[in-house]
Amino acid sequence: MTRSFQVIVVGAGPAGSSAALTMARAGLDVALVERGTFPGEKNMFGGILHRMTSIEEVFPEFWAEAPLERHIAKKGTTFMTGEASFHVQHETVSFDRTPYNGYTIFRPRFDRWLAQEAVKAGATLITRATVEDLVYQDGRIAGVTILGRTGRISAPVVVAADGVLSFMAKKAGLRRPSFDPGQMAVGVKALIDMPREMIDDRFGLVRDQGFANEFVGCTGGVRGGGFLYTNYDSLSVGLVFHLASLRTSGKTPYDLFNAFLEQPQVAKLVRGGRLQEYSAHVIPEGGYAMIPELVGNGILVAGDAAAFCNATGVNLEGINLASHTGILAGRTVVEAHERNDFTTKTLNRYKERLNFSWVMKDLKGFRNAPKMLHIDRIYNEYPDLVCSMMEHLYRIDGTPKTSIPKLILREVREKIGLGKTLSDILTAWRAL
Amino acid sequence: MNIDEIFDFTSFTIDREPHIVLDTKVCIGCDNRGCTNACPARCYTWSETEQKMTFVYDGCLECGTCYVVCHRDAFTRWHYPRGGFGVAYRMT
Repeated sequence: MTRSFQVIVVGAGPAGSSAALTMARAGLDVALVERGTFPGEKNMFGGILHRMTSIEEVFPEFWAEAPLERHIAKKGTTFMTGEASFHVQHETVSFDRTPYNGYTIFRPRFDRWLAQEAVKAGATLITRATVEDLVYQDGRIAGVTILGRTGRISAPVVVAADGVLSFMAKKAGLRRPSFDPGQMAVGVKALIDMPREMIDDRFGLVRDQGFANEFVGCTGGVRGGGFLYTNYDSLSVGLVFHLASLRTSGKTPYDLFNAFLEQPQVAKLVRGGRLQEYSAHVIPEGGYAMIPELVGNGILVAGDAAAFCNATGVNLEGINLASHTGILAGRTVVEAHERNDFTTKTLNRYKERLNFSWVMKDLKGFRNAPKMLHIDRIYNEYPDLVCSMMEHLYRIDGTPKTSIPKLILREVREKIGLGKTLSDILTAWRAL
Repeated sequence: MNIDEIFDFTSFTIDREPHIVLDTKVCIGCDNRGCTNACPARCYTWSETEQKMTFVYDGCLECGTCYVVCHRDAFTRWHYPRGGFGVAYRMT
């Protein structure tokens, strides 16, 4: 059976649904194709949805309409070793006011909502449909085929929002046939059930306030980090590893994760909780250098599929980039339909829109961040240095104290070396 | 958390037809076998005594790690499960 539409969106994640919503609102006949039994079923992420200004244009009271958990009012970073930790935290009342700066969410709920908004605007959602291939006719894209089903879905243009591995971009020849593990990370996460009052008390939260914490030094020397985010009555706790580093380490994500959960200070944070769900996903962390060709004849790539992820080590942004690029792709397709021209030349307007947007400006601005994050010392030596220095500063043991500058110099020399430290500072300076 | 008990805390609808097919002959000569340690669901196990790679797709989280770390192109098939099959997250 063949069904015809004006555009096919592959993947009902944040990029796909934002694109579908934009195009359906503009009056296009949109097929939104999703492999899960419902949108969000297959989607996994760390747990923070950063503020989405372009979605707020569509939903001015986004925080009141979308199915969100807590808003992030408090952010922390913990440098840790197997037995010590040094924690810094930021909190401001301005993050406690609308428009909120970020939220925790559950993807099966949030992605489903966003896709339903696209449906309300007139898009056709086709679930349980894994797109198998692109169909070409006379050298132009004519539609897609679905795995295990006969027939096809037809349209003159496709938005590939099929996630990090984007087989659509591969089939269209827009991305390289294989990935560089040095540009990829894998995140593992446990959803831990915990009573709401316990979370409020433990993390110092009231009302809908949420807490987001990142950890460095908790990955057994593998490049990566940890996170802990508060939902209403559960915690999202996990680790992220760079794949090249994880591969050569010989260590496993779940063993490292268990060690993280058992670290004495982390154990106190998750105590009393009960494991609900375990999940994992690959993250495109290569930044600007990893972005594939974004436009082909009759096809545009958005979201993770286009590696639109900004991992600077400070904020880990993905969904906000996905949604915004989905919207820009959607606008471009609307324009292409007005001209009835789906060639690369017309669709290249998407690239212009991107270059003009904060997405490309951020990725370009932080294009050296992946290089900085490849300094292995960040994941072991520096957290150890920080914790050890703090211990020396605080310790009272009846011996004369070393002056603080002397202490810093001695510790840096012993643990890392002055030259290396200066060069790392310079790399970080350039990256950030 | 015990990874052997993955089916106790994550839901799957398992297809009869595997979505990933591995040519295990390729794995014999692999100098690295990063899949065995990097896969978050421990789908890949290498037996040193039998010199054999075993792959089970039942508990696959569809994360993409093996697709990225395999540098020997050992997959004769790697696609996502048919619609309606595979991992089903409830609250992640």
